[in-house]
Amino acid sequence: MEKIALIYSYNTRNTANVAKEIVKAFGKSVVVEELNAEDIDGQKFSSYNNLILGVPTWFDGELPNYWDEFVPELETLDLKGKRIAIFGLGDQVNYPENFVDGIGLMVNICKKAGAEIVGYTDASGYTFESSAAFSGGKFCGLAIDIENQGDLNDERIESWVSQLKKEFR
Amino acid sequence: MATIFEKILEEQNKEVPRVHGILTTDKELLEKWFYLMVLGRALDDRAPNYLKQAIGWSYHAPYAGHDGIQLAIGQVFDKTTDHLYPYYRDMLTTLSAGLTAEEIILNGISKDNDVASGGRHMSNHFAKPEWNIHNFSSATGNQTLHATGTGRAMKKYNHKGVVFCSQGESSVSEGYVFEAINGASNEKVPVVFIFQDNGYGISVPKKDQTANRKVSDNFRGLKNISIIKCNGKDVFDSMNAMLEAKRIALHEQHPVIVHANCVRIHSHSNSDRHELYRDDYELNYVREYDPLAKYRRLLLRYKRFTEEELVAIEQRVKDTVKEAHKSAMASPDPKPESIHDFVIGPAYVSQKYPEGLHDGKGVEMKLIEAINQTLKAEFRHNPDTFLWGQDIANKDKGGIFNVSKGMQQEFGAERVFNAPIAEDFILGTANGMSRFNKNIRIVVEGAEFADYFWPAMEQLINTSHDYWRSKGQFSPNITVRLASGGYIGGGLYHSQNIEGALITIPGIRVVYPSFADDAAGLLRTSMRSEGLTMFLEPKALYNAPKAATLVPEDFEVPFGKARIRREGKDMSIITYGNTTHMCIEVANQVSSELGKEIEVLDLRSLSPLDHEAIVNTVKKTNKVLIVHEDKVIGGVGGEVAALISNEVFEYLDAPIMRVGSTFTPVGFNRILEKAILPNNEKILEAVKKMLNY
Ligand SMILES: Cc1cc2nc3c(=O)[nH]c(=O)nc-3n(C[C@H](O)[C@H](O)[C@H](O)COP(=O)(O)O)c2cc1C
Ligand SMILES: Cc1ncc(C[n+]2csc(CCOP(=O)(O)OP(=O)(O)O)c2C)c(N)n1
Repeated sequence: MEKIALIYSYNTRNTANVAKEIVKAFGKSVVVEELNAEDIDGQKFSSYNNLILGVPTWFDGELPNYWDEFVPELETLDLKGKRIAIFGLGDQVNYPENFVDGIGLMVNICKKAGAEIVGYTDASGYTFESSAAFSGGKFCGLAIDIENQGDLNDERIESWVSQLKKEFR
Repeated sequence: MATIFEKILEEQNKEVPRVHGILTTDKELLEKWFYLMVLGRALDDRAPNYLKQAIGWSYHAPYAGHDGIQLAIGQVFDKTTDHLYPYYRDMLTTLSAGLTAEEIILNGISKDNDVASGGRHMSNHFAKPEWNIHNFSSATGNQTLHATGTGRAMKKYNHKGVVFCSQGESSVSEGYVFEAINGASNEKVPVVFIFQDNGYGISVPKKDQTANRKVSDNFRGLKNISIIKCNGKDVFDSMNAMLEAKRIALHEQHPVIVHANCVRIHSHSNSDRHELYRDDYELNYVREYDPLAKYRRLLLRYKRFTEEELVAIEQRVKDTVKEAHKSAMASPDPKPESIHDFVIGPAYVSQKYPEGLHDGKGVEMKLIEAINQTLKAEFRHNPDTFLWGQDIANKDKGGIFNVSKGMQQEFGAERVFNAPIAEDFILGTANGMSRFNKNIRIVVEGAEFADYFWPAMEQLINTSHDYWRSKGQFSPNITVRLASGGYIGGGLYHSQNIEGALITIPGIRVVYPSFADDAAGLLRTSMRSEGLTMFLEPKALYNAPKAATLVPEDFEVPFGKARIRREGKDMSIITYGNTTHMCIEVANQVSSELGKEIEVLDLRSLSPLDHEAIVNTVKKTNKVLIVHEDKVIGGVGGEVAALISNEVFEYLDAPIMRVGSTFTPVGFNRILEKAILPNNEKILEAVKKMLNY
C-alpha cells in the first residue's frame, strides 16, 4: 500500500487524539505520515494518493477555519486518482441538525476536484436529525462523537481502519 | 408535483452563486472591504475609551465577530433605491453602507450633529434617515414591522428597491417579528430579513429561545419566502448570500431570510460581563474565529496583498480615526432648550375654520356618515392615502361597523384592504409604509374595538417617539381610528375607553368627537396633518339621531380646540364623547326645572387640550364638573382638574368634581353596565351638589 497522509490540525484536542488512535490502528506495516492542517498547501496535499482528513464540525455546520481557508486552493487541485477518507468529530446531542456536517462538506469539495472517496460507514447507532454527511443510510466518512459516544471510539476506529486497509491502494 | 417538504429540501441544498471569492474578487474591492473592516474594528475597539474618559458612548454593543455579514449588508445596500433598518449592533453595517467614521463617533458621543438623532437617542444606534438608513428603537426586533411596511409601499408604488432589516437571532422570539415575516410572506414584499446569530441574547443561550438551533428554520412552513444560511464570519460567503438575497427580493419579489452564523467575541454590551457565563474554552475559540483576522490571513495566503500593503491600509485607518475623533470632539452638544422641538409633526392649519366652528350650513348626517364621507373626500383629495384594518373590505362590508363602507369599491384594493388579526402589525406596517414617502397619509382601523388595540401599544409607543428621536427627520403620518366606549351592552372587551392611557404619551394626538360635524372636521385635519392622531369614535353614537348634525362639505376642526355646545353662567361641565350628550340633556333639564344655566364644553381634543377654553369657562362660571365615560381614576379629568387648579384656582367657588366610570371593568349584564358607566342620573346628582355648594 502506498503511504498515507493523515492531515488534521495540531491545535485540536479531540481530533488530534482520534488521529493518534488511527495511526495506532494502522500498525507498523503501513506508513502513515501526519501533517498539520494549519499549514497544509496544495503541493504537499497533492504529493499523496492516499489521504485521511480530520474534519470536525464547528458552529452549527461549518468547517473549522484551518480547512475553510484551504478550500479555495483545494478547489483548484486536480485530485483525480486520489483516494480520500474523512473522519470527523461531532456532537449528535447538542447539534443534531448538523451532525458531522463537516465530513459532508469536505467530501463534496474533494469529489468535485476529482477524488475518489473511500471509508463510508454505516450510520446506524447514531441519533441525529440531519447531516450533510448522511445519505442512503451511510455516512461518507467516519463519525466520531467523543461527547456522547466516546466508549465506541476504539471499536469504530478499528473497524474503519481495517476497511481503509482494503480500500486504499 | 413536489411536496412542500421536497421543496424545502431542494431549497436547502441550493447553492448560492459564488460571485465573490478570495481568488476572483477584484483587488480594489478587496482593499475597500479590508479598509472598512479595519476601520469598523478600530472604532468598535475604541468605543469603551470614551466611556472610561467619561465622554460618552455609555451604551456600546460591540459587533466583533459579526464582521462578514455586516460588511455584506452595507455593501449590497444602495441608498438611491433601498431602505435599511439596522439594529444596535450594526456599526460595520452602517459604515459599510456609507456612514463616515466621524458620523459613527458623533452618534457614540451623542453630539448635536449626530445624523441619526442629534444626541437624542441612545449611543450605538447608528442611522442616517436622509439615506433611508432608518433611525430605530431599542426594542429588539420591532423594526421588522416597519420593514414589511416599507416593502409594501415599494410594491404599491412599483418601486424597484429592497428593504434590508437586521437583528439578532434571539429577538426573533418576539411575537411581532413573526407578524412581520408572516405579513411579508403573505404580501410578497421585497424585504431581506437578516438574523445575525451569535448564539446569545445577552446571557441567554439560543436553546432557551426556540427548539430549532437555527431560528430561521421556524419559518420553513411559510410560503413565498427563501431562507439562505451563510457564515457571517466569512466575508465571501456573506457577500454571496446577501447578493443572492437581494436578487431574489428584487427580481422574484418576495421576502428572504438570511441567517448568518456569527460569534460574539466580547460581552453583549458594556453593562454585561460574559465571563460570568462563558468559560475560557469558549472565550478562546470565539477569539480564534475573529472574522477580520481570517480575512487578513486569506488576503496574504492567496497573495492578493503583501504584508506591507495591509500595514499601509491599517495606518490609513489610524489616521482617519484620529481625524474623526478630533472633529467629533469639537462638535457642539445638544442644547437643553431644544427638548420641546420635534415632539410631533406639524398639524394642518385651517384657514377657513380656525376655531373649528361653522355657520350651520351643510348636509345633515349621522356620525357614521360623516366619518365615511370625510374618508372618501380625503381619499379623492389625496391619491397617496391608504386604509387598512381587520374586516375593512369584503364586498359590502366595510369595517366592523361599516364605517368604511364603499371605500374599496371606489378606491380599489390597492388602497383599501384587509389586515390580518395582528394589531401591532397593522400599526407597525403603517409606520413603515409612511417612511417611504412624506406625502403618504395612512388611516388604519387600529383594531376592531379600542379594547383590542392593546397588542399594538408596543408600536404606538415606538411610533410616538419617531419624530422626536429622529430630530424631526421622520414623521409617521397616520390616523388610527378606534371604535370606542360602551353603552352597547358589550361587556369587558367591547366597551373600553383607552384615552386615559393614551394621553400620557407625548408625540401623539388624541381626539374624541361627539357630533357628526366635529368628527368630519377632526378627521379631515388628522388626515392632512403630519404625525399620528388617535381618532376615537364613540361607537354608541354612530347612528344616534342626537349626534347627527349639519356638516359643511369642507369642514375642518383644528387640534386643541374645544367647543362650547351649550352656553351657561351658573356652572360648567367639561366633557367629551358619549357623555357630551348626557351633559347637554342634564343641562336642559336643570334649566327648565331649576332655572340654572349650565355651560357644556366639549373638549373634542384630549391631547393637546384647549387650555384657553378650559380656563375661560371656569372664569365665567366659577364652578366646574368634569364628566367622562372613562374611569375617574386615571382619566382625562385628572389632568383637566390639575390644569384648572394650577391656572385658575382663585376663580373657583366650589371644589372641582368628577363623574366617570367606577374603577372596575365594564360588566356585560345591563344591570352591571348601568352601575358602572356614567349616566344622566349620576350627572344630575353631581350637578345638584355643585349648584348647592
Ligand atoms: C461552537 C461549537 C459548534 C459546534 N457545532 C457542531 C455541529 O454543528 N455539528 C456537530 O456535529 N458538532 C458540532 N460541535 C461539536 C464539535 O464538533 C465537537 O466538540 C468536536 O469534538 C470538536 O473537535 P475539535 O476540538 O477537535 O475541533 C460544535 C462544537 C462547538 C464548540
Ligand atoms: C423588546 C425588548 N425586550 C428586551 C430588551 C433587552 N435586550 C436588549 S438586547 C437583548 C438581547 C437580544 O439578543 P439578539 O436578538 O440575539 O441580538 P444580539 O444582541 O445578540 O446581537 C435584550 C433581551 C429590549 N431591548 N427590547
